[in-house]
Amino acid sequence: MRPDASKKIATVTPKGGPNVVIIGAVIAVLVVLAVVVAIVIGNNSKPSSSASGKVAPVGVVGGTGGGILVNPAAAKTNVPTVDVYADFQCPICGRFEEQFGPALTAMAKAGEMKYVVHMMSFLDTNLGNDASLRSTNAAACAADAGKFPEYHSAVFAVQPAKEGDGYTDAQLTEIAKNVGITGPALTTWQQCTSSGQHNQYVADVADTSGKAGVTGTPTVKINGKDITKTLTTPESLIAAVKAAKS
Amino acid sequence: MGLKSSWETGRLPDVIGLLARLILGVVLVWAGAVKVTNPAQSALAVRAFKVLPYDFAGYVGYALPVLEILLGLLLVLGLFTRVSAALGGLLMLAFIFGISWAWAHGYSIDCGCFGGGGTIAASQTQYPLEILRDAGIAACAAWLVVRPRTPYSLDHRLFG
Repeated sequence: MRPDASKKIATVTPKGGPNVVIIGAVIAVLVVLAVVVAIVIGNNSKPSSSASGKVAPVGVVGGTGGGILVNPAAAKTNVPTVDVYADFQCPICGRFEEQFGPALTAMAKAGEMKYVVHMMSFLDTNLGNDASLRSTNAAACAADAGKFPEYHSAVFAVQPAKEGDGYTDAQLTEIAKNVGITGPALTTWQQCTSSGQHNQYVADVADTSGKAGVTGTPTVKINGKDITKTLTTPESLIAAVKAAKS
Repeated sequence: MGLKSSWETGRLPDVIGLLARLILGVVLVWAGAVKVTNPAQSALAVRAFKVLPYDFAGYVGYALPVLEILLGLLLVLGLFTRVSAALGGLLMLAFIFGISWAWAHGYSIDCGCFGGGGTIAASQTQYPLEILRDAGIAACAAWLVVRPRTPYSLDHRLFG
């Protein structure tokens, strides 16, 4: 026979103790409040920009947050559109540019495709710096000066060996001079970069691309179809573009 | 009778329950704490799964670290153990679903469970390990839902 424990239970059970319902309700309300506050703070943590930062650069196609068309003059009609999404700070994008950049540039110049570059900036978040924002804004400013393709390639050419080292403002200015932005155009470019004139555009590209399902870089689309995984060599890219044409 | 009472008041189930509560609680607090200081990164990690619509995924990314910390604290303290464990377990099931989803769709992402997240090289993905880990934590939650009684808990002190 086990001893009867009912007496003991009666003595340890508090009478008129804390009310489960009230404590539970208070905690539930606190949790909901904390979550709401977190969402509001998170939403406001997006990089904001001044009114002067809300100008889209020259050459943007596809509406708000669209990419920059590299070859508006050269592109023939009825050619496929090739969209490339890359972040100046992403090492794989650097290698992609090294491997596929020449083929892309050649096809763009020959007008065999509409070459649209979407400059991504999420590595700022990953790395905790602002080099993607600054370099992308700088490239957008170069687009205003008519030097986008040159500037874009030149930034990737000096990508730091160590991910996260980013680009200095001095480096970005040096690139502008090297690609032939001089005189009054250089002054305009410098005003554009120092005021972050296209910062909102940079944020818009990130949003628009994310909504289009691009969460990784580099991403290559031909006529809207993601073909990144099929790319092995520049020849495979050229073949894919030619196949899309017919 | 003997079996039933050892299940209700036995020492071994008590120890297992305490361990399950502390593991689930500490993991949740830890996972939330490393993410809460970088909401943008957390939003990016959730978006990378491509399960939820872009904007909504952002909100989930902002809210998740705070929710994890609070649930974890409740579990560490042993307050409303059954409800907290049930919510923690549902979170783990959601994570397992998300990771399986990414795996099945061939995305190469880090789950971002403990910070980080987003696209990584295909060779660096750890889907089986991540799923196994979350399943283990979900098992802790399941135990506590079935048997929320644990020693050293506020539930015990406050409500008897």
